[in-house]
Amino acid sequence: MAGRLLANLIVMGSGIIGRAVFQAYRQALANASKSGVAQEAMQNGVRKAGKAITEQEARQILGVTEKTSWEEILQKYDKLFENNAKAGSFYLQSKVHRAKECLEVVYRSQGNGTPS
Amino acid sequence: MRKFYEGGFQATMNRREAALILGVRESVAAEKVKEAHRRVMVANHPDAGGSHYLASKINEAKDMMLGKTKNSGSAF
Repeated sequence: MAGRLLANLIVMGSGIIGRAVFQAYRQALANASKSGVAQEAMQNGVRKAGKAITEQEARQILGVTEKTSWEEILQKYDKLFENNAKAGSFYLQSKVHRAKECLEVVYRSQGNGTPS
Repeated sequence: MRKFYEGGFQATMNRREAALILGVRESVAAEKVKEAHRRVMVANHPDAGGSHYLASKINEAKDMMLGKTKNSGSAF
């Protein structure tokens, strides 16, 4: 009996606190948007999401120049990707993969080599 | 299948990134760092289809893990 009462109390209490926290958060957001803090935070978020790889870095990672054909880039990529799957690190493999992704977009927009 | 890390390398390397590059934990022993460096370097060696850029990153990561570069990016 006492256990059930206690459980009831806890469930009700946590519900109330949860709602209060949510309201406080909304209020804080409203306050922040007035003072411009939220905009700054949002810009930070955008910059972090936009921390994308540059074409220059992508070419450096794969060790290719602007004249390299898409076929050669794919060969380079396959080799580096395989090597890092076998003996390298997942982090480097990721970078190799992102570099290929980046160059794929570049080459597709140029329309030469036609990456599939 | 794990999700690939986003984006390129960090502008300045820190211990966390160095450990990721070598595929070790940050608190790893020096002996293990050298072993990991050899393994990753063989996989990415410029003479075997790798790139100089990756090789330099791997060397930088090793130096950082062995504490040769005291670069924490902050004045403290």
